Amino acid sequence: MYQTVVGLEIHIHLNTKSKAFCSCLAEFGDEPNTNVCPVCLGYPGVLPVLNEEALTQGYTVARALGCNLSQRTLFDRKNYFYPDMPKNYQITQFHDPVGRDGKIEFQAHDGTIKTIRIHDVHLEEDAGKMIHAGDMSLCDYNRAGYSLLEVVTEPDLTSGEDAEAFLLSFQRLVRYLGVSDGNMDEGSMKCDTNVSIRKAGEPLGTKVEIKNLNSTRFIKKAIEFETKRQATALETNQRIVQETRLWNENRDVTESMRSKEGSLDYRYFPEPDIPPFLPDAAFWAAVESRQVELPLARKHRLTAAFGLSREQGDFVAESRFMADFFEQAAKESGNGLAVANWLMGDVQKELNHFNLSLEASPLTPFRLAQLQKLLDSGRIHIKIAKQLLDAVFEQNKDPEVVMREKGLEAITTEEQLSPIVDKVFEAHATVVEAIKAGDARQKGFLVGQVMKATDGRAAPALVNSLLAKRLG
Amino acid sequence: MSDAPSPWKSFQAKKEAYLAYARPWEKKVGSFLTFRPEAPSSAGSGPSGARPLEGLPFGVKDNIAVRDFPLTCGSKMLADLVSPYDATVVARAKAAGASVIGKTNLDEFGMGSSTENSALGKTSNPWDQSRVAGGSSGGSAAAVAAGLVPFAFGTDTGGSVRQPAGFCGVYGFKPTYGVLSRYGLTAYASSLETPGILAKDLGLVKTVFDAVKGRDPHDQTSLDPESQPVRPVKTIAVLADLADLDPGVKAVYEQTLVHLKALGYTLVPVTLPTLEYAVPAYYTIATAEASANLARFNGIRYGHRPVYAENPEHLVRQSRTAGFGNEVKTRIMLGTYVLRSGFQDQFYTKAQKVRTLISNDLQKVFDQADLLLTPTFPVPAFVHGDKTMTEFQQKLADKFTVTANLAGVPALSFPAGLAGGLPVGMQFTAPAFCEARLFEAAAAFATRVPVADCPGTSLDWSK
Repeated sequence: MYQTVVGLEIHIHLNTKSKAFCSCLAEFGDEPNTNVCPVCLGYPGVLPVLNEEALTQGYTVARALGCNLSQRTLFDRKNYFYPDMPKNYQITQFHDPVGRDGKIEFQAHDGTIKTIRIHDVHLEEDAGKMIHAGDMSLCDYNRAGYSLLEVVTEPDLTSGEDAEAFLLSFQRLVRYLGVSDGNMDEGSMKCDTNVSIRKAGEPLGTKVEIKNLNSTRFIKKAIEFETKRQATALETNQRIVQETRLWNENRDVTESMRSKEGSLDYRYFPEPDIPPFLPDAAFWAAVESRQVELPLARKHRLTAAFGLSREQGDFVAESRFMADFFEQAAKESGNGLAVANWLMGDVQKELNHFNLSLEASPLTPFRLAQLQKLLDSGRIHIKIAKQLLDAVFEQNKDPEVVMREKGLEAITTEEQLSPIVDKVFEAHATVVEAIKAGDARQKGFLVGQVMKATDGRAAPALVNSLLAKRLG
Repeated sequence: MSDAPSPWKSFQAKKEAYLAYARPWEKKVGSFLTFRPEAPSSAGSGPSGARPLEGLPFGVKDNIAVRDFPLTCGSKMLADLVSPYDATVVARAKAAGASVIGKTNLDEFGMGSSTENSALGKTSNPWDQSRVAGGSSGGSAAAVAAGLVPFAFGTDTGGSVRQPAGFCGVYGFKPTYGVLSRYGLTAYASSLETPGILAKDLGLVKTVFDAVKGRDPHDQTSLDPESQPVRPVKTIAVLADLADLDPGVKAVYEQTLVHLKALGYTLVPVTLPTLEYAVPAYYTIATAEASANLARFNGIRYGHRPVYAENPEHLVRQSRTAGFGNEVKTRIMLGTYVLRSGFQDQFYTKAQKVRTLISNDLQKVFDQADLLLTPTFPVPAFVHGDKTMTEFQQKLADKFTVTANLAGVPALSFPAGLAGGLPVGMQFTAPAFCEARLFEAAAAFATRVPVADCPGTSLDWSK
C-alpha cells in the first residue's frame, strides 16, 4: 500500500592516470602514502591544477546521460573537517556542475523500459582513508585527490529491485564509456541512497539517506528494509525522522548515524584557485568523439538485427568488448544467433577452463566467425567444430589452419567417399549380402563402419545417400 | 631607472663586514624569523645574461615557501614546519641569480597591520624602535629599511606590502592580480592576495618584478601581463573628499600634490562613492576565504599537535586551539559566520557585489586619469601596543589599500616625505597591467623628493 521512492547519489572514480588536481598517480592498492605530494597533502602555499582529462570524462558522462551541458563550469569549496581530508574542504561543483537535467532509460527488474531523470553530474575530489587500529588512527592519503564524478538522480525509482537494475545498467554505461571500471568492491563506484515512502497520489514523504552500501545487492536489501521500517513507523503513528542511516551488512538493517539537526553546514563558496572552465571547440569535439552507442540501445539493435532472445541480448551487450566481439563475429559469419550461442556456451566453458577473460583469450571475432562459417558450409560438423574451438585455445591458431593440419575437413563428395565405402563393403561382404537380401536392420552397422573409417568426417547425409545407392 | 644597486653585488665577498653591520641592526629591529646570512649563495644556475639579480641576497616573508627554510607564517601552528619546495617567485628570483638569506616576520598568516600578531617574534620600525614596522609584511619592510637586504618579498592581501613599506620609508609594490604566481604563498584570502616586492631602489623593484612575473603552470589564476600601450602619465586623480588623515600624513599628502603639479601632472579631483564599503566588503571576502584556507592546519599531517588526544576530532580541536592566535581565530570565526547557509546573500554575496561596484568606480576614475593618488595609510607608524587605534580602527584604516586588492589592480606605495621624523607613504593605483605608469610617476617624484635613508643605516660595509 505504500509506494517506495528512491533517489541515488552515485560516485565513480574516473579513469585518469593522475589525480584531479595534482600529478600524483591515481593507483589503487599501492603502499600507503606513496602517491602523495604537497598539493594532495594540503601543504601551505600549494594550489590545485585541474586535470582536464577528468573534466573531459565528466562531460562525456553528462552528455551520455542526456544532461544540459554547462558552457562555463566552476568549482566550489565544500567545507567540513575530517581527518582524512587534507584541506578540510573538498573541491567540488555546487553552483555550476558539468551537467544538469538529464534522463536515461534502463531496463527495470520486470523487463520494462523505464526512464530516470538525472538531477546533475559534477566533478569533485575524493578524500583519503582513515584506518582505526587499536588505540591508534592511521591515515592513508593515496586516494586523496582522486577524480570523483557524482551523478545525482531524481527520486524516480520505486523499488529496491529497480534500484539494483538501474545501478547495474549505470555500471555498464560507465564501462562502455571507458570512464571508470565501476567496481563497487574496490570502491571505484559508491552509492548513497535516499529512501522515502508515501501512499499513492500523496506528496513525497520524509527521506532518509543510507550510506555504507558497497554492493548493488546491499542497496536492494537496504531499500527493502527501509520501506518496511518506515511503513511500520507510519502504521504505529510515528514520525519519520530526516536522518542519515548506515547499512549494517552483518545484521541486514539500517542504523541511525546522525539526524538532520546534527547535519553539517557545508558553507559552499566558489573555489578562488581555479578559474571558470569554458569548453572550446576542441574540448566539445573530444567529448563528442567519446560518445558510444549506449548499452540499452545496443542491446535492442543487436537483438533485432540478429534475432536474439532477451537472454542472449543481455549477454552479448553486457560489456562493450563483448558487444563489439559479438557484432563483428556475427557480421563476419552471417549467423548471429549461432555466434551468440557459441559465446554463451562453449566459449564460456573454454574461458573457464583456461581461466581467461575473452579480452585475453586467443579467440578473436574472426576466428569465431571462421569456425561458424566452416560449420555452416558443411565443411565440418558440430563435433569437429567443438574440437577446433578447443584447439584455438590450446594452440592459438585459426580454426581452418587446425582443420587442415589435422585433416579434419568433412568428406562431402562421392569421389572422396566411394573408395572408403568400397573398402567397408569388401571388409563386411556378408553384412552387405544380408542387407541386399532384405535385412535392413544392419544398415546402421555399415554407416557406423564408414564413419569410423573416416574418423567421423564423412557428411552423414552423403553416407546415407551413397549407401542407399549401392545397396539398391 | 638604475640597475640593481651595485654595493650589494659584493655581498658574498664582504660577508664579514656585512655581518658586523647587520647583526646589531637585526637585534634592534627583529625583522627576521630565520636569518642565515652566512650560508653560501642559494642562487640557481643559468646563463649569466639572464641573471639580472646576480649576487643579490634577499628576504622572504615567512608565509612564502623557500625550500629547506622554515615556513612558520608567524604562527605557533607551523613553528616547526620546513618547506619541501620553493614558491614560484622565489624559484624565479633564485634562477635570476639572487639568494635567500632569511625569512621575515609577519602578522600570523598575514592577518594584521603591525606585525604585532606574530606569535614568534617582535619586529620594530628601524626609524624608531618604539614603533611598529606595520604589517603584515613588517619584517620585510624593516629588513629593507635597515639595509639588511636590497629587496624582499612580501604578500599583499589588503595592503600588507604597501602599508609597512609606507611605515618604513621604502617602496612597496603590489602587482596586478595574477601577474605574480601565488604558488608557494600560504593562502589567506586567495582571490585578493598576491606576492609583492619591497625595496629602497625603485629600479630594483622593477628588475625583480620583470624577473619573476608571468604565467606559472602551478597557479591556474596566474597570467602573463597584457601589453599596454606605453604613453606618458599626464593626469593623476586625487580624492576630492579626503578626510580623517593624521595631520602629519595630511601635510605630506599636500606637499605631494604640490610636487606632482610642479612635475607637470594635471590633478583631477574625483570621488569614489563606494570607498566607505571597501573595508567591510574586504573583510567579508577575506575572512570567508581564510576560514577555508586555514582549515588544513589541523595538526595531523604537519604542524602543532598535542602530545595526546582521545580521538582525531579531539586532536584537531586541541591543535587549533593552541596553535592559532586570537586574531586568526577571530577571522576564522567571522569567515565561518558570513558563509553560513541562508546568510550568504546577506554577507558574502553582497560583498562580492560591492567588489564589482568598487571595480566599476575605479574604472570610472581611470577613464578620467592615468593614475589615482591616495595616502597609503591615514597615520604614520604607531607605537608598539598602541591602544589609541583599536583592532577595529586599524582595519578601517585599510580603506586606501584594500581597494586595489578588491579590484585586482596594481598599486605602489612610495616614500613621499617625513612627518615628525617618521616616513610617510603615498600610493599610486593604476589600471590592470599598467604597472609601468606606477614606476614612471614614482621615478619622476623621486627626482624631487629623493628617498630618505633611515638614520644609522648605510652600505659602508660594502666598500
